[in-house]
Amino acid sequence: MEQSVKDRVSGIVLPVAFAAVLLVLWQTQALHAILGTDTFTFPLPGHIARILAGNVPKILENLSATCTVVFGGLAIGCVAGYGISVAAAMSPRWGVGGLRVIGAFNAIPIVALAPVVINLTRDVSGDVEVRSTVAKIIVVALLCAVVMSLGAYRGLTDLKPFSEDLLLSYAADRKTIFLKLRLPNSVPHIFIALRVIVPTSVISALISEYFAEYIIGIGRMIRDNITLAQYATAWAYIVVACGLGIASYAVLLLVEKLVCGKRWRT
Amino acid sequence: MVEISIKDLGMVYSRNETVALEGVTLDIERGEFVSLLGPSGCGKTTLLRIIANLLEPTSGALTVADGTPEQARKDRKYGIVFQSPVLQNWRTVRKNVELPLEIMHVPPMERRERADAMLHMVGLHRFFDAYPEELSGGMQQRVGIARALVIEPEILLMDEPFSALDEFTREKLQADLLQIWQESGKTIVFVTHNIAEAVYLSDRVCVFSPRPGRLSAVVDVKLKRPRPLEIRDTAEFVEYVARVRGSFEGV
Amino acid sequence: MAQPRVHFTSSNLFITLVWIAILVCAWEIGAAYIETVKRTPENVLPHLWQIVQSVFSDKAVAGGLTARQIVLNAAAATLARAGIGFAIGTGIGFGLALLMKLSGIVEKIAFPYLMIIQMIPILGMAPIVLGITGDIGQSRIVIAAILTFYPVAANTLAGLKSVEPEKDSLFLSYAATRPQTYVKLYIPVALPYFFTGMKIAAPLAITASILVDTLQGDGGLGCMLSQSLKHAMSIFVFWQIVFFSAIVGVLSINAVTLAERLALPNERRARKWSKA
Repeated sequence: MEQSVKDRVSGIVLPVAFAAVLLVLWQTQALHAILGTDTFTFPLPGHIARILAGNVPKILENLSATCTVVFGGLAIGCVAGYGISVAAAMSPRWGVGGLRVIGAFNAIPIVALAPVVINLTRDVSGDVEVRSTVAKIIVVALLCAVVMSLGAYRGLTDLKPFSEDLLLSYAADRKTIFLKLRLPNSVPHIFIALRVIVPTSVISALISEYFAEYIIGIGRMIRDNITLAQYATAWAYIVVACGLGIASYAVLLLVEKLVCGKRWRT
Repeated sequence: MVEISIKDLGMVYSRNETVALEGVTLDIERGEFVSLLGPSGCGKTTLLRIIANLLEPTSGALTVADGTPEQARKDRKYGIVFQSPVLQNWRTVRKNVELPLEIMHVPPMERRERADAMLHMVGLHRFFDAYPEELSGGMQQRVGIARALVIEPEILLMDEPFSALDEFTREKLQADLLQIWQESGKTIVFVTHNIAEAVYLSDRVCVFSPRPGRLSAVVDVKLKRPRPLEIRDTAEFVEYVARVRGSFEGV
Repeated sequence: MAQPRVHFTSSNLFITLVWIAILVCAWEIGAAYIETVKRTPENVLPHLWQIVQSVFSDKAVAGGLTARQIVLNAAAATLARAGIGFAIGTGIGFGLALLMKLSGIVEKIAFPYLMIIQMIPILGMAPIVLGITGDIGQSRIVIAAILTFYPVAANTLAGLKSVEPEKDSLFLSYAATRPQTYVKLYIPVALPYFFTGMKIAAPLAITASILVDTLQGDGGLGCMLSQSLKHAMSIFVFWQIVFFSAIVGVLSINAVTLAERLALPNERRARKWSKA
């Protein structure tokens, strides 16, 4: 469906105008009056921007620590999750049961998972920074693997009617059916899963930082600065966290567009 | 020479004890165009799937191209066209037609040549690099036919290939199919529930009746070939249609 | 259609049970191993029976309360707030979806923000919400509501938009009023989507509430969890909370499913029909 130019323009102008109104309300402290708060706990945008500009090296250090966890966990979790779904698709009878049990992990709060994993990984390394990073990556990877295995399984097994018969009619073996049909068929489902996984991995990285032994990362900085009543600094890290979330999602959408294009509709 | 020989074939679905086919005996000659005609539930699609070795019959015997159906499938003796085109929407039209050749490990250059030749034959030479969703339903079905023919099979199995198309597109594809058949000399087994379609296309119309699914009559259609579209308006054609309609049992 | 008789060993229940048994075995093997190499194995991986035993133990672990009492008291505070936040978030989410469908302007303003909300780590902002509200109970509600709001709004909107144009034309041909069209067509079609959104949101609301607990020492599951980890009380309080929160998370999804069945008793049958 083609959108009219007028529709498209108003689709950009209206939200931007809304954001501008919000910023003005914030800067003029009208928002503070509505929320019943003050500029100390809810600092003005200008103030937050100054803190961001003044702490670039420290922010980058924490950002890179968080990114290692987010993308390390994401990569490991997705590969593991896809592996699980392939194994499950090979023997659907047992696979579905296994996936149902895995699905229950979805409901386990990260808050409970993170300390368990941190306890389990205490002997990984004598270096507290290394073992802390490993623990955080495992937490993120576990959550990603759960979502990926469920999503990819659907993609591997939810085939168009007759498409498997077609390949059987060519006397294709199981490996060929997997490579020529199941694998490509699962691609859009991988991206649907990634749309859940990417935000999840950012959130779970931030929260596992709360519990980690080694004090580093965007999430930990938000929490510790609030404990120290340095609200403006905490807000600066929140802005960075939101930036990371939006940027990683934007990258995902871009990759999705490049990979899928006309071939796969998601 | 007999291409497909079916003897006293029966099929009972164990799931719900439905008798899908009972005592079907039929010989299909090489190069013949045979229709399996009947209402839904009469077992015509089941029979086609048994010929294609996508189903195992529960009784009776059949040979396809002088061997078992399994051997025929493994030797790629037949190409199959389904009711829906079953195209992979992540592949271009050309890549869709190349798919079976990829599975057969045909070298890339030859694959491309053969796919292009087939697409020319079905009249899609302007759409090599289009994606399936950019094509109309009739064009998608043409891709399906090209894909079935590209492996140069002896037999072409077609399962209600035109039933989802509009009347105009269907007539055009029927005429094109007859031409392709005449040029290539394949054996065609064509499943349909459309009486006029069966009469127009076939040398023989095999009429199936339901509950239990069985072969209730075989009508030889001796209309001259090639058959122009206008042949449908002749008295002879109308008479064949009436004869086929009269041979249904218990519908 | 006559269902074939299935032997128990090939039933879904059996397969699920086997998988659970495998998980339990893996856990116990790990626990047995940890027991041989650690001086305080219960901090790392206790035996499952030890955790079960601690639930039924009458030994006071802190302030004259048993571990079970501590967990249940804390759970009441946390889950009540999660429930309130979930209800508020669900209401706002459904309302916004309806508004977005009704008004093009609201949709244009809200849609990009709905997209952005799913990208930003709301849970990471929990501390600042606590800073602004200053009250832990309110913070739990606010965070749980924000997390609930997004999946409910997004799914409901998708449901409202899934109505085929032909059906809308049909209602036009009946000269139905707008409220009629919504009550008879759009909302019924959107309801299954709405419940799907709630199924996603329910465990999130609980996670949010527990997380907010950990930020301040005011009771609640998360608070007890951190205290137990710091060895202020028996470590088994921690293990109980881990299992308790996991079970409550699963049950919350089941509760929504149950609500869906009660609200839409015909939905399952309808789906079966459309498949056949």
